[in-house]
Amino acid sequence: MNRLLTALCGLLAAVALFGIMLLTLVDVSGRKLLSQSVPGSLEVTELLMVVVIFSALPLVSLKGEHVLFDSLDPLLPPWVRRLQQGLVDIFCAAALMGLAWLMWDKAAQMAQYGDVTAQLKLPLGPFVQVMSVLCAVTAWVHLMLVVRPASHHHAGVDETPAL
Amino acid sequence: MTDALLGFAAVFLLAALRVPLAFAMGFVGFVGLGLLRGWAPTAANAAQVVYDSGFAYTLSVVPLFVLMGNFVARAGLAHELFRVAYAFIGHRKGGLAHATVVACAGFGAICGSSIATAATMSKVAYPPMKKLGYADYLSTGVIAAGGTLGIMIPPSTIMVIYGIVTETNIGKLFAAGVIPGLLCAGLLMLGVSWVTWRDPAAGPAGERSTWPQRWAALRDIWGVVLLVVVVLGGIYGGVFTATEGAGIGASGAFFFALARGALTLKVLYETLVESARTTAMLFTILIAAAIFSSFVNFTSMPNDLKDWILQQGLSPLMVVGAMMVIYILLGTIMEELSMVLLTIPVFFPIVTGMGFDPVWFGVLIVLVVQIGLISPPVGMNLFVLNSLLKGVALKQIFRGVWLFVAMLVIALFVMLEFQGLALWLPRMMP
Repeated sequence: MNRLLTALCGLLAAVALFGIMLLTLVDVSGRKLLSQSVPGSLEVTELLMVVVIFSALPLVSLKGEHVLFDSLDPLLPPWVRRLQQGLVDIFCAAALMGLAWLMWDKAAQMAQYGDVTAQLKLPLGPFVQVMSVLCAVTAWVHLMLVVRPASHHHAGVDETPAL
Repeated sequence: MTDALLGFAAVFLLAALRVPLAFAMGFVGFVGLGLLRGWAPTAANAAQVVYDSGFAYTLSVVPLFVLMGNFVARAGLAHELFRVAYAFIGHRKGGLAHATVVACAGFGAICGSSIATAATMSKVAYPPMKKLGYADYLSTGVIAAGGTLGIMIPPSTIMVIYGIVTETNIGKLFAAGVIPGLLCAGLLMLGVSWVTWRDPAAGPAGERSTWPQRWAALRDIWGVVLLVVVVLGGIYGGVFTATEGAGIGASGAFFFALARGALTLKVLYETLVESARTTAMLFTILIAAAIFSSFVNFTSMPNDLKDWILQQGLSPLMVVGAMMVIYILLGTIMEELSMVLLTIPVFFPIVTGMGFDPVWFGVLIVLVVQIGLISPPVGMNLFVLNSLLKGVALKQIFRGVWLFVAMLVIALFVMLEFQGLALWLPRMMP
């Protein structure tokens, strides 16, 4: 299950990010060299940004890569640490579920008003629904972690440096 | 004012309980604003913040610069940069350590991350230093400190984030980082000279390269130079926006890595997912910080504090100096990105209210982040080296880095005193 999730989210995020890169390249070079831009490239970039951010979110949670303050860890006995981690994951799951619900509401509202992008007239509602669903998936990841804790490492030490 | 202070206390409490900072800030901001303003408008505001942060064309600058740095790291360009620096100055006393600083500065011009720069350089510069008999405290200290040049010399993740949060022009911030970045590099090299003067055995000289060797090494880095000139030159010259420059830079780095045969489909996929994860992590914090600051800004705290400080009749420079002391102290124990995002809603209006240029303050913020990243006991660059260089004790890394922390503090004093060093280049921009 985890593997499927990782593969699916990873593929979505990777394709979307690569798409943003190529789109920016084609759009900018077209505009500067041939004075012709890709129609709607700004909007498509925005939609792809949503996909990049929110489909990578479950992976960040799964790998325990959120920035956190863990300097107190060595002071706590292992069972306290385990309990603490469980409670924190439940807290995160609840917060993400709340957010998922808020975004679902917003999506419904936008669908009702018929909100579309300015140039290509793409409907915005479904993309906000995707945000909501991926928040819920991330919440589910945190709940999974309560049952089966991952080996948390130092935030940012290996592949995903924030600074 | 009490409400905001309670909010800050709650964030710190949750963080101490090991709640990820983004969740702590977002939750406290949401509940705080809900209590002050009512829940319906707060919920609408939160949803709008998340929506706006997701659907934002200009914010695509974040993943694109991250991607550029990661492609360049995969392309193995760091080796060539180090070889060039070595060819020119490796034969001096402490020459490999000097070369490390120069290579870090060069790498910093294509990579916006301090941690990635330190991690990459540890693979490139540590083995030759070890082979030549360099003391571990010098080699690790200089790699950790040199890595921080990655965020002062543009592009820079933290400048992008500062620019987004404070609505400061990112291109101008990038321009402002050039001279301070070179100043930091110079001071770090001075630090290396100090070490080898006190303890000549710590950094023996390497072999002298011949001029043909030097030219050959220089030829290998034309790609890096081209990329830097096009991306940063384009942004400074007003040809591109920062976002467009980032897209060109990421594409250039992609084709470069491709041409060097460094990209298999698997490596490409990993690089993309890695960059997406960094992006998601950064955006979680950005979104949470936006929710938290909409709470802080709703309270009277930023204004109260600003009025109070202005009434004290302190010299404005002393107020900024006091902020820097707070940052340096916090930076020793806190993660730097969250430190900056938590304090910006309070500090930024004070600084601009006293008439300072936000671009200059941005450079100061980068400097304190640099210092925080290498100041023990909690410094991310030090931990990275500790996890990558298995043979070196954390104690050795700590021992060697103090001198370089001091050098960056000197840089901070210089930047406080001579604002023009940061502001001269951005003022020349069109």
